[in-house]
Amino acid sequence: MLAEVGLAALALAFGAAIYAAVVSLIGSRRQSTALIASARNAALLTFPLLLLAAGALLAGLISQQYQIAYVWQVSNPSTPLFFRITALWGSQQGSLLFWCLLMSLFAFIALLVNWRSYARLMPYVIAYTMITLAFFVGLSLFLENPFARYWIVPDASSPNGLVVSTVFIPPNAVAPDASRLADTARGLNPLLRHFGMIIHPPMLYLGFVGFVIPFAFAMAALASGDLSTNWIKATRRWTLVAWLFLSLGLLLGGRWAYDVLGWGGYWGWDPVENAAFIPWLVGTAFLHSVMIQEKRGMLKVWNMVLVIFTFSAVIFGTFATRSGLIDSVHSFAQSEIGAPMFIFWAVVTLISVILILYRRGRGELKSEHAFAGILSRESLFVLNNVVFVALALVIFWGSFGAPIVSELFMSTDITLGPDYFYTVTVPLFIAMYILMGVAPLSAWGAVSARALGRALIVPLALTLVGLILFILSGVTSPGALFGYSIVMLAGFVAIYEIYRGVVSRRRVTGENYLRAVQSIFSRNRRRYGGFIVHLGITVIGLGVIGSTLFQQETQQTLALGQTLGIGGYEMRFDGVDTGQVAEDGRLMDIANVTVIRDGRELASLRPRHDVFPAAEGQTAMVMNIPGAHSTLENDFYVLLVGVQPDGRVTFKVYINPLINLVWWGGIILIIGTLVSSWPSQKEPASERMKSRRGKAAPAGAAA
Amino acid sequence: MKRLILVVLALFGLFAGIMLAAAQDTGTAVDPSQITDDQVMEVARSLYCPVCPNEPLNTCQTEACYRWREDIRSQLARGLSKDQIIANFVAQYGERASAVPLDQTLQTVSLVTPFLIAGVALLIAIFLILRWRGAKTAAPTGTVNDPSASVPPDDPYRAALEDDVKG
Repeated sequence: MLAEVGLAALALAFGAAIYAAVVSLIGSRRQSTALIASARNAALLTFPLLLLAAGALLAGLISQQYQIAYVWQVSNPSTPLFFRITALWGSQQGSLLFWCLLMSLFAFIALLVNWRSYARLMPYVIAYTMITLAFFVGLSLFLENPFARYWIVPDASSPNGLVVSTVFIPPNAVAPDASRLADTARGLNPLLRHFGMIIHPPMLYLGFVGFVIPFAFAMAALASGDLSTNWIKATRRWTLVAWLFLSLGLLLGGRWAYDVLGWGGYWGWDPVENAAFIPWLVGTAFLHSVMIQEKRGMLKVWNMVLVIFTFSAVIFGTFATRSGLIDSVHSFAQSEIGAPMFIFWAVVTLISVILILYRRGRGELKSEHAFAGILSRESLFVLNNVVFVALALVIFWGSFGAPIVSELFMSTDITLGPDYFYTVTVPLFIAMYILMGVAPLSAWGAVSARALGRALIVPLALTLVGLILFILSGVTSPGALFGYSIVMLAGFVAIYEIYRGVVSRRRVTGENYLRAVQSIFSRNRRRYGGFIVHLGITVIGLGVIGSTLFQQETQQTLALGQTLGIGGYEMRFDGVDTGQVAEDGRLMDIANVTVIRDGRELASLRPRHDVFPAAEGQTAMVMNIPGAHSTLENDFYVLLVGVQPDGRVTFKVYINPLINLVWWGGIILIIGTLVSSWPSQKEPASERMKSRRGKAAPAGAAA
Repeated sequence: MKRLILVVLALFGLFAGIMLAAAQDTGTAVDPSQITDDQVMEVARSLYCPVCPNEPLNTCQTEACYRWREDIRSQLARGLSKDQIIANFVAQYGERASAVPLDQTLQTVSLVTPFLIAGVALLIAIFLILRWRGAKTAAPTGTVNDPSASVPPDDPYRAALEDDVKG
């Protein structure tokens, strides 16, 4: 019954999305308020329908309906309730449905929130969001249906019949024995049984699907010819929200890798990680570039290109992850959705580019100002955009471009590892941090080198002090000191700009410091939230430099009571409990070690070696869960590699300097983004009235 | 006599082969147990598991990778250098076993292209900025803040700040 309900809801959502897309375009063409209102209602209906479909699948997971193939694949009777719920996005079919649900949620909110304010754009926004949604729901419905069920059909070669998985009941089919299905159910992939992985995919999906809204508004602007800053105003917060979730997804993914994958790091330049990082980079470029259009009426074409590029990167990343194009620990198994996704990606990108060229050809995307000078903020933002886009392109090249080109043209399968990415991205990251340090001090329009130099004096002096502190702490590597300097400069500029804003505010109003801080943040959340984001990126930068350049590692085999030394620490092996069986059936070896520094016992750690016995038709999975002693200075991170036949144990130990700054910086970044995207105080009544008078009555607003 | 000559020749060939193989190794052979895990990992870091998806050999936890790491240990014990071991892996499993292709063409294409991309992007940006400096512009739509219209003359920073704060 649950499968039927879910399937019906999914099919209805597909129909509603197609209806909404087609009718909104017809309504817009005929200027029919009734048709547009009908399209809107259909678009709004997709969310409750997909909620019902996802709810049906969730109910199936919770009530252990193993006849539903998806439930059988991602859970088993020993799966705890919490993981049954998170199993909704634990595999291809469920996660695709979940993805559709989130996309419909974004469309639902965008339609409700923006309906009255951006009437001219909305029919096209409905069309673009619903076309995208219909495509993904179509994939879910026709190629990766989560409601397929197991049936036994008569088969001449087998007396017990043949077990098949189909959406509709085959002729003469009978349902398999429920207890047999329960006994053989596979259970959730062990790698997904971690808090970071539970919350990481939804955050990434929210980030990915969130970019559909800015894209839809940009396309709506191009299609409708309303090329004022309306679409940018409408999408500013949507872009920030999408960026926030994407950032959270990346950070949580990093944390999951650090805690679960057992290789001592958080970023492996894996193609799937990179597929999520590329839209983040382009989205960041867009967030900066869009300010130039708002302030100066420039870069109209470029902003369109960036928002399309961001969405295109999202679709490509999804395609790469879900199609089997690339192999990765993060990707889904090979699937039939690769070809349609690639075609969709290519068509959407092509249509978008044609629309831009059309409007550009009509002279509707001309800049309203000229660039005043190379040191003006808009020029520096353009350079910043170049850096972000170049980063996205070189990462794309290393992850997908070079491997695909070499396979297509040279019949050679290649992998580009961290060495490639460090070589090509470090110069660009250096440029990014330098621009992050200089651009906020520049002004719109024009600025002299002298004025810019004067503004840099205080941050540079603070950077110098920081540099001396690093040298005193024992850092001697010129490369590291250079890296720390430019990263610190960007951070000090952010702090200095907040300080200057407060001082300037106090000078005018006489407010106390606390009140002045509150005032400047409430007057322009985006600007000062942005500085907090810069501060977060600075702290992350310090953590990345420390943990990358100064990481130490050793692998040694110890007998009971023996110690190993690394990075000023000692680790004593105190014992090992082998063959422990957990509730979920995994076999665990747990070592007991003591971390010692300067003769003082700091912590007792229990690194673990888990073996998940092989399910039917699968291979056993091994996981090394680290033990870590964390301080702000570094992490002492130990892995149990294996227990030798003679009872000795092999450990791998890492010292990861400043690694916790990566997480702390991430938290600061999230806070800054929340500040930036938080709705501003209400406009004064007079402003509100003025803005209302200036707007046309929205089509279908009465509906 | 003939048989003796054949035996001597065979022994000579065997000896020459051993000498040749030894000459190819840069280091001195040692007992594998003297090779530390850290030495093995140093080589494994530059290699990818030939069968697992994008998994560096130093972190891969499959049985096959344990065996490959032992293979590295035995090659180190035979005195082979890191580069020689990587070349051996590439010869056996293809270019995907190396973190950076060894084939010169592939290496050049892989490593030069990104710098070309970055360089071209920078050149385009500079060209556009220079062109925009002298470009004719469209009439303002009225939706854009023009900083020059609101700059108080006495405090340039305040003026810039006000301009920013207008959002």
